[in-house]
Amino acid sequence: MRSARISFILRRAVQSLKELLWTHILTSATMAMTLFIFGGFLLVQVNLQSMLKGWGSQIQIFAYLDNQLAARDRDTLLTSIRAYPEVESVRFVSREQAWESFKKSMGPQSSLLEGLQPDILPSSLEIVLKMAYRNRDSVSDVAKRLRGLGGISDVEYPEAWLERFSLIILGVQWIQWIFGGFLFAATLLIVGNTVKLAILGRKDEIEIMQLVGASPGLIQAPFVIEGMVQGIMGAAFALLLLWLLFLFLSAQLPSFLGISLLHDRVHFLNGHGMALLLLLGWLLGTCGSFLSLRKFFRM
Amino acid sequence: MIQLFRVSKIYPPNYLALNNIHLHVEKGEFVFLSGPSGAGKTTLLRLLFRAEEASEGQIVVNGRNVTRLNASGVAELRRDLGLVFQEFKLLPTLTALENVALAADVVGVRRQESRRKAFHLLRELGLKEKHDARPPTLSGGEQQRVAIARALVNDPILLLADEPTGNLDPDMTDETMRLLLKINERGTTVLIATHDAALLKRFNGRAISLQHGEVVDDSRMGRKEARL
Repeated sequence: MRSARISFILRRAVQSLKELLWTHILTSATMAMTLFIFGGFLLVQVNLQSMLKGWGSQIQIFAYLDNQLAARDRDTLLTSIRAYPEVESVRFVSREQAWESFKKSMGPQSSLLEGLQPDILPSSLEIVLKMAYRNRDSVSDVAKRLRGLGGISDVEYPEAWLERFSLIILGVQWIQWIFGGFLFAATLLIVGNTVKLAILGRKDEIEIMQLVGASPGLIQAPFVIEGMVQGIMGAAFALLLLWLLFLFLSAQLPSFLGISLLHDRVHFLNGHGMALLLLLGWLLGTCGSFLSLRKFFRM
Repeated sequence: MIQLFRVSKIYPPNYLALNNIHLHVEKGEFVFLSGPSGAGKTTLLRLLFRAEEASEGQIVVNGRNVTRLNASGVAELRRDLGLVFQEFKLLPTLTALENVALAADVVGVRRQESRRKAFHLLRELGLKEKHDARPPTLSGGEQQRVAIARALVNDPILLLADEPTGNLDPDMTDETMRLLLKINERGTTVLIATHDAALLKRFNGRAISLQHGEVVDDSRMGRKEARL
């Protein structure tokens, strides 16, 4: 009996998908449009965050060493700093390397440095933190601990820049949640109303099913399955549109704007992003159908 | 089979459609519910299959108190009933066979079995050749026979028909009535709501008359007793 009911539900869903093909296509298209906007927003977010992560990798702490520090003590210092849980890598920069690097950075004006001794610059440690610790509080905390170590004369890090960077990250995250939340609610509303219209168009069918003794679950299940299919189809279509738009923009925009930096850094949604959009489509279709059905059956 | 105790139905704001109805219908009876339009026949029928809720009183159908049913309980109640309407209520996108089989499908009968039962009934009602036709291509009488076949497919204990001959010509009316009597002879209790007084004269059965939401006559008890 149970298998007969499941088979009946699936048959009704497939029959309806066939009979009301255009209604389902239109509902899927509406979902696709809203999911396209959502996906576009997600794409911008992902790329923006990846760009910010790229900037984040430039966050370094410079620890200047005492001139009198012996090589053995320096090695001990390096080992203890490398043991910090926040630290990803530590690079020792000798006085000579610092001098060369400084000269290089001066470019054609490096002749101004003639006559100066290379040992005027201190040797230093360039400390890069792990991704999770590249924020204002962690950097400041590590810098404070470094200042307390013997053999280090000074510690520097780009404090003002880090402050701004943390604010940007926070802002992007807030915008993502607020805008994403609004968009989700709006999409749910649109999908709910579209499904409601489709249900109203089949009012007679529902009434007849009720009259012949179909349980509420048996009547609603095919609609929910149809909602799921519409949602997934809508999301797949939205992904296809996004992909085409992405291909077009990534090919045309750099040459149009005369810049090439975007070309190698911008990328499409990864597997997780695509799965998220499909899941969202499935969820919207299911919830939209379910909420509309609940309203309809309460009437 | 059917028991109504002090049943009233009031539609908002204060239209009294049924007033303090007492009624008993025994198993196997063939009953006409008659009266002019607005007498409360359809309302009474709708209370029996719980398309409406009674404002007051208790209704028992086949031992089940229908005034205390949730949505699943209503569905279970209707699986024991066969319902026939004046406007047939068939799905235009399904064939005659599929319309009949639908009622069996929803109670969990296997597809093959529901099709077999539906075909058997359509053949019995003289619609063997039309089993593949869709309702809009059938005549009124044929559509009503499809609706009756659908009502019978789950072997109901009670058949409720609301103006089943309202849309039919005299020949089809008689044919449909003979069919309902035949169903009753097999043991199914039949309750027919009709405003057609001529039907009561032509066909035997218990006649309950309603007027202004009250029972004014019952051929089993007589006019005076019915009013008490």
